[in-house]
Amino acid sequence: MTATVLLILHGLVAVALLGAITHQTLATWAPASSPASSFFGRFRAVPSASFANAFVVLYVIAAALGAFVYLYFRVDVRPQLERDAHFSALGLFDLKEHFVSIGLGLLPAYWVSWRQPLAEDLRSTRAALTAIFAFVVWWSYLIGHILNNILGFGS
Amino acid sequence: MTSSNASRRFAFAFGAAFALCYAIAVGWQLALFTVFPSLGIVLPGTVQSRDYADPALGFLAPAMYWYGWTATAALGALAAGLTAALVPQSWTRRLWLGWLWAVPLIAMAACVYFTLPWFRL
Repeated sequence: MTATVLLILHGLVAVALLGAITHQTLATWAPASSPASSFFGRFRAVPSASFANAFVVLYVIAAALGAFVYLYFRVDVRPQLERDAHFSALGLFDLKEHFVSIGLGLLPAYWVSWRQPLAEDLRSTRAALTAIFAFVVWWSYLIGHILNNILGFGS
Repeated sequence: MTSSNASRRFAFAFGAAFALCYAIAVGWQLALFTVFPSLGIVLPGTVQSRDYADPALGFLAPAMYWYGWTATAALGALAAGLTAALVPQSWTRRLWLGWLWAVPLIAMAACVYFTLPWFRL
């Protein structure tokens, strides 16, 4: 029961994280020309620096919840996946844990690069770090979703 | 030396070093500690279940290294970050800022390589 509640919380935080980093990445790499009139244009027209603090907090919370749920996964879920020979899925999940850890290490640099007032010499660093985080978060979300559903729908 | 410059050098060195140390920790199995969730114990260093139990019983005490790898990387990164923050700014000024994103990308590629055996089963 505890694991289920924590997993749902982990998923909800991940959704917020996904929204924040996607907004920020698109606003950084493909800023909207003003005034934005389309949905996609408005999606990219957000002030990207304003997402940085929220992203750092959400990332730490999501990682902490994931680290806790991982204990249950290792004991209760992974043996079943190994028994059913879902080795590729386990490999993808291992990559998720590696990428998330590397992201944790990059958080201070990400935060410094987005600190106000934005440093002009860090423009490309900021954009690159944001893109890396977008990849890590999307990968983690999708692989987490696959692992969560693998013994259910579509198995 | 302003605190802003020092914090920037700390954060950037920490990020790049963390990625590098993490890839090394995974590749060389250098976990600071090993977690055995079914037993509720944590042992220092990289400990294999088969070192303490019959291999046939290893599934009863699965070992987790991810926490230990992350701790190893954090220790190495902390040392690198503090060093970068304390050395004169002129020593780090010429370093290419791109290392901050290039090293993590290389580390991620290394992790993909280390994970390949899963896809050959």
